[in-house]
This record gives sequence, C-alpha cells and structure tokens, in this order.
Amino acid sequence: MRLAHLWDQSKCIGCGACIAACNAANYASSTKENRTWGWIRSNIKRITFDLNAKPYLLLVQCQHCDNAPCVAVCPTGASYKDKDGLVKINPSLCIGCKYCMTACPYGARWLDEDTGLPAKCMGEECLSRISGGLEPMCVTVCPAGARAFGDIDDPKSEISQKLRKGRVVKLLEYKGTQPKYFVVVGP
Amino acid sequence: MSFQEVWSPFLIGSFLWFAGIAGMGSVAYALLRLYRVEEKLRELSLVLFASIVLALVFVVADLSRPLNMPLAILGSLASGVFIAKLAVSWMTLGISLLSILLVLTLALALRHTAVPALSKFTDNKYFLALLALVGLLVTLYSGFLISSAPGVPFWNTALIPVLWLISASICAIAVLKILVHEEKLSRILTTSSLALDAAELIAIAALLNVALYSGSIAAKISARALLAGELAAPFWAGVVVLGVLAPLVLGFMLLKKEDRRLALAAAVLALIGALVLRILVIQAGVFEVVGL
Repeated sequence: MRLAHLWDQSKCIGCGACIAACNAANYASSTKENRTWGWIRSNIKRITFDLNAKPYLLLVQCQHCDNAPCVAVCPTGASYKDKDGLVKINPSLCIGCKYCMTACPYGARWLDEDTGLPAKCMGEECLSRISGGLEPMCVTVCPAGARAFGDIDDPKSEISQKLRKGRVVKLLEYKGTQPKYFVVVGP
Repeated sequence: MSFQEVWSPFLIGSFLWFAGIAGMGSVAYALLRLYRVEEKLRELSLVLFASIVLALVFVVADLSRPLNMPLAILGSLASGVFIAKLAVSWMTLGISLLSILLVLTLALALRHTAVPALSKFTDNKYFLALLALVGLLVTLYSGFLISSAPGVPFWNTALIPVLWLISASICAIAVLKILVHEEKLSRILTTSSLALDAAELIAIAALLNVALYSGSIAAKISARALLAGELAAPFWAGVVVLGVLAPLVLGFMLLKKEDRRLALAAAVLALIGALVLRILVIQAGVFEVVGL
C-alpha cells in the first residue's frame, strides 16, 4: 500500500478551503503565526508565481516521498516511513534538531513552536481520519473536486484512475526523492 | 526570497567552529605528542576540552526539544534504530563522534591537571591514534552535516567538508601559534598556515563558483548574497580580507622573521575569519525554489 495525495491544478479555484480546513482540523483553528513560512498554522503552503503572461499558484505540502531525505537524515528515527507509505513523526523520538527541515527540498515542514516539532502534512486529526477510513480534511472540503487521496498501488482507487487520465507532474523529481504528491496540470 | 531561518547562523556557526577547533586540535595534540613536543600540551588539552563542551552547548541551544533529547536518544538506542541510522544519518554519526571526543578530551584534560596517572593511558600511541582519527572525523562530520541537507542547494556540495577541513586546520594551527613560543615549531606553523590560507582561498572561490554555475536558483541567490548582496560586507571584510588575506600577508612577513605580536595577530584574525565564514555560510542558505 502506498497512500498519496493528488492536487489538480487545472481544477483548483484557489479558494484556500483546504488550507483553512487543515488549520481547523489539525491546529484547532489557531490564529498563531507559523513563523517558518510566514503563514497560518497549516500544513499546506500556497506559492504564487507572478509571471506577467501566465500567473499561477501552487499548493505545496509534504510529498510523502518514497525516498524521503527527512527520513534518511533524522538521527533518532523520529521521522519514518510507515507501512502505508506515509512519512510520519514519532514525537517521543524527536530531539528538535530540525535536520529534517533543512533536508526537505520542498520546505514542507514548519516549526510548531508550541511543541517544538517539525510539523507537516499529515496532522494528527487527518491521520486519525484516514485510520478510520475517511479522507484527509483538505480532500473532504475541496469544493472543486481538485484533490484526491488514496492508494496508488490499487488500480481501482480514485487517485489511480485520476493519475491515468490526467497530465501529471511531480515536483523537483530530479532530486531523486520519488515524491508521492501528484500535480495534475491538465486533462 | 529569504534566507533560511531553520538553523540559527550564530548558534550552528559557532557549533561548527568549536567542533572544528576541537577536531583538528585533537589531531594536532596527537602529532605533537608523537613528535615529543611537550610545550603547552596542558593548555592545548584544556582548549580542546573547552571547545568540545562549547560545541555541544551551542548545538543543544539550537534544538527545539532539548529536554526530550536524552530519552529520545536512549529510546532510539534501545530499539536499535540509532545503530542502523549510523549508516545513513550524519547527525547520528556526529552525536556518536562528539560523545567519543568529549570523553577523549576529558581524559586529556584530567591527565594534565587532576589525574596525572592517566598519562599511562593517554600517552599510549593507540590512544593518540584514536584521538587523531576521531578528531579528523568530527571535523569532516561538521562539513558533511550541512552538505547532506538537500533542501538548501548552497550547502549541498562536497566542497563544504573540504573547506571545513582546511579552515579547521587553520584554526588548530592558530591555537598552537597562540600557545607555543618555541621558534622552530612556530616557523613550521607559519609555513603550514600559509599553505592552508592559500588553499582556503581556492576552496572558498570554488564553493562560490560552483554555486553560481550549478543551475540551482537558490544556490545562485546564496552566492550572490555573499559576493555582492546583503552579506557581502561581512563576507569580504570578515572572511576574505581579515580572515584569509591578512593572515596570509602576515604569514609572509613572519617567514622573513618570526615576531610574537605579528604571529598572535595572524592567529586571532584566522580564528575570527573561520567563525565568520561558518556563520555566513549558514546564514546564506536559501531553500530550493519549488515550481512546475
């Protein structure tokens, strides 16, 4: 089993519902600042590219890489890849060295100053939801149907079907991280 | 585009500096002992122990969960993960090497102060070989630690460990220059430090050149910040002029005639330059630019 996220850029309307829902579910709608990103406490980061001719936005979050640098560099095994293919954090083993944060080419981790943990997707609530057979919050709330989550090893899953149909890009693939966050850029 | 703020440049830069001094200083101690140079070994042993303690203080000060560290490491050791991690994580290796060097330098400091009987153990050639090896590995680790962080392309190059090794060797020589008065040894130190200053200049130029032409936008931003941007003033003044060129010029003057005050000035400037270099390299880090 390899659980993965898909974000369809061609369908996304940029409403920010996924970002707000992540904040509400995983960080109790906290209004404290995520100082690492200069952003709200959410595991999804919005990057806008102000290209004159063709501006676009990108939603970036943990790519749950198959060859995750954050897992490799972690000195204690606090960052690890689970059997379901997701990269997770074991807080009891984390010393807060932040090596995982400097190792991640996507800048997908931010420092939760309350816990000292390098936070990232997926948060506690979303992990609890998927263990109960539900979707992560960002997928559930998306009004445009631009998100999908599921097992890419299962050819019948919704995400596998979408991957077969669309033109898909993986971010910074040349880094050798084997990311599992798929960006659909068109039909 | 902003500089990385994950690792504090001052704390991690100082950690890398002290680790380098302790690392290559340990190599120097072993060499002096093997060549039967007895002058100032007591002082050197205290500098080494103080350096490794300060290195640990600075690195722990940058942790966001320092109180969790003992239990986390014990838990990781108990599960066997820590041992497995030695093969893939430079930080795991570093924690182990720093701990070993702490014990070895403590033994040296005690041998020269409170427990002279330890000399049977610490003057043994196998102990000295181990001290030199661990010291060298600590220095190399301090470079590989940041060069193995693929999120920051400016650091993600094999030139960093090479530069750190050269720079830490300069620091060790500078410490010896401050301590030692004997003329023959001072002359050897001056010659060695001249060669290393020249090598450091080449290594710094290579690091910046690779960053400028590597194809990574983030690495280019880092190099430009140091060469002509926000960090240019401390880089040119603190690293290039005061940290490398001034000791180089003073070194040539010392070759003609050894002078205690000039030697001290060259040593202090070299040490300051090495510290500023590390702080600026950490400060200049910029995360990779993510785009389609």
